[in-house]
Amino acid sequence: MIRFDHLEVRYPGAPRPALRDLTLDLQAGVVGLLGPNGAGKSTLLKALLGLLTPSSGRGEVLGVALGTEAAARLRARIGYMPEYDALIEDTSAYHQVAFWGELSGLSSENARDRAHEVLYFVGLDEARYRPVSGYSTGMRQRVKLAQAIVHSPELLFLDEPTNGLDPEGRQRMLDLVLRVRRELGATVILASHLLTDVERVADQLVILDKGELKAAGTVENLRKLLAHRYELRFLEPLTPEQEIALPELGIVLEARQGRYDLELAELDLSRPFTWAVQRGATLVQLTPRHDRLDEVLIRALQPATPAMTGAN
Amino acid sequence: MPIYAPTLPPRPEGEVQIRPLLVLFRFEWQRLQRTKVGRFFGFIFVGMFLTKLIYIYVRYLLETQAALKEAQNFTNKIFAQGAHFQAGLLDPASYLLWFLVAMVGGGLIARDTLHRVRPLIYAHPVRPRDYLLAKLGFATALPFVILLPYVLGPWLLSLLIAGAKGPVWVTLPLNLIPAILPMSLLMGSLAVGASSLAGTPRSGIAWVLGVVLGASAVAGMLHGLTDNVQFMALNPIVLCLAWPQLMCGVERPVFGWGATILGTTAHVVLWIEVARRRTLPSEAVL
Repeated sequence: MIRFDHLEVRYPGAPRPALRDLTLDLQAGVVGLLGPNGAGKSTLLKALLGLLTPSSGRGEVLGVALGTEAAARLRARIGYMPEYDALIEDTSAYHQVAFWGELSGLSSENARDRAHEVLYFVGLDEARYRPVSGYSTGMRQRVKLAQAIVHSPELLFLDEPTNGLDPEGRQRMLDLVLRVRRELGATVILASHLLTDVERVADQLVILDKGELKAAGTVENLRKLLAHRYELRFLEPLTPEQEIALPELGIVLEARQGRYDLELAELDLSRPFTWAVQRGATLVQLTPRHDRLDEVLIRALQPATPAMTGAN
Repeated sequence: MPIYAPTLPPRPEGEVQIRPLLVLFRFEWQRLQRTKVGRFFGFIFVGMFLTKLIYIYVRYLLETQAALKEAQNFTNKIFAQGAHFQAGLLDPASYLLWFLVAMVGGGLIARDTLHRVRPLIYAHPVRPRDYLLAKLGFATALPFVILLPYVLGPWLLSLLIAGAKGPVWVTLPLNLIPAILPMSLLMGSLAVGASSLAGTPRSGIAWVLGVVLGASAVAGMLHGLTDNVQFMALNPIVLCLAWPQLMCGVERPVFGWGATILGTTAHVVLWIEVARRRTLPSEAVL
């Protein structure tokens, strides 16, 4: 579906590339795109839309090589819901969704019919003839989603689709995303900083930071990468000598008042207990910490962490 | 509480038709029709156009009265008009048109900038060239479509009431239609260029009027300092006067062919280049 091979994207005159040595192979499904500000998420979307030409390496979207003349036509097969408003304020939802449909290659008649259908689909059927300037945040987000799916794209980019929504609105939007995936069969790339949103809908994950790939793969496989991560709780805080000896068990990630997060060197769970007995400490709790997706993100974004891959 | 559709029907059958120029152009036209500015100026221009026709027709009736049978002879005698009359058929619409160009054209690109619609347009199968051509085409077509009836209306009326001997030259469309083309292109390019510099539609209007009046002021100052009338070719308003005069062969046009062509070309090239640079995809931050 999407394939990058050592892709590098550089803005004209920029001292360093915005995307560096990106090698990825994303399959159909819902892909969560995570990363802090400036991570390169928008640049990646621009590159996927064919608006930026790779300075080196290769990229392929829906079988079309990036940076070629065919990439412009490729956009007829892609839907894009931007993070910001991007709505034509003095125009009704119906008129603008029909306009975006026509711009994506639908005939005038089909675009008008389809605008009714998608606005009904996102729950804006009654309000569709009103100018969008009077819409609430939730309604505006749904207009943006409607314009992105009006031409039934094969690939759908959603940039922070739950931005500014209350919990109920977020729930509805994520339901719609799942329904789009299910009913249109489109591959969805969901860029978000809300891990809970991504966790709910994504089956693959891409984490970027400073233009570099930090982690990529299926959510399940990435979770497994954290299989060695445990929290150790001792009855008494460890003495300085015991703390110095703690790395014998693995990498100490965090220490706080008698609790230690460790990346165990080996998955033999009797080893921490043996170590505690040998060092005169009392280990009272050993808790696995590999069930949370945010752990993947936190770990991936730690400096000098090599890229984690959890592809099938 | 919104009601959600149970399912989304599949995409309708039909070939993919990528025609961004037409779609963007038509959308601007439909949007203009829905706005109050569009209706207001539509009313004004129709009013001015009808006044022109009525003027010719009433003069004809007054002079002929009962002697309608000899209308052609009388009309020929009374309405014997020279090149000035022919060139003046576009007045005062061509002056008022600058305000419409500012009101409508000023927001053409600025509105997309304000609401960040352009990046979304570029996320569709639209090249920057298509976007610019559609905006320029609309801004050029608007004055052209408005001025065209001012050529064809009096011409047809004159033909109907007095045949070939009427007040309006039989060949007038051949003179004035080629004149309103560069006039419209000048107005259109200036509008998109100035609009691309603005961040809001209102400031776009100010930009267009500012550029027109600023260029007029600079042209007037240079003309005053050097006593060279050719500098007036920097003034877009005077350029729009010069084209019909030159095409109709007015004895003393405001300035000659060279200055008119050079002045128009300079404005068109400058403002299209400004708009091109301001609408590059690199300006479109996703």
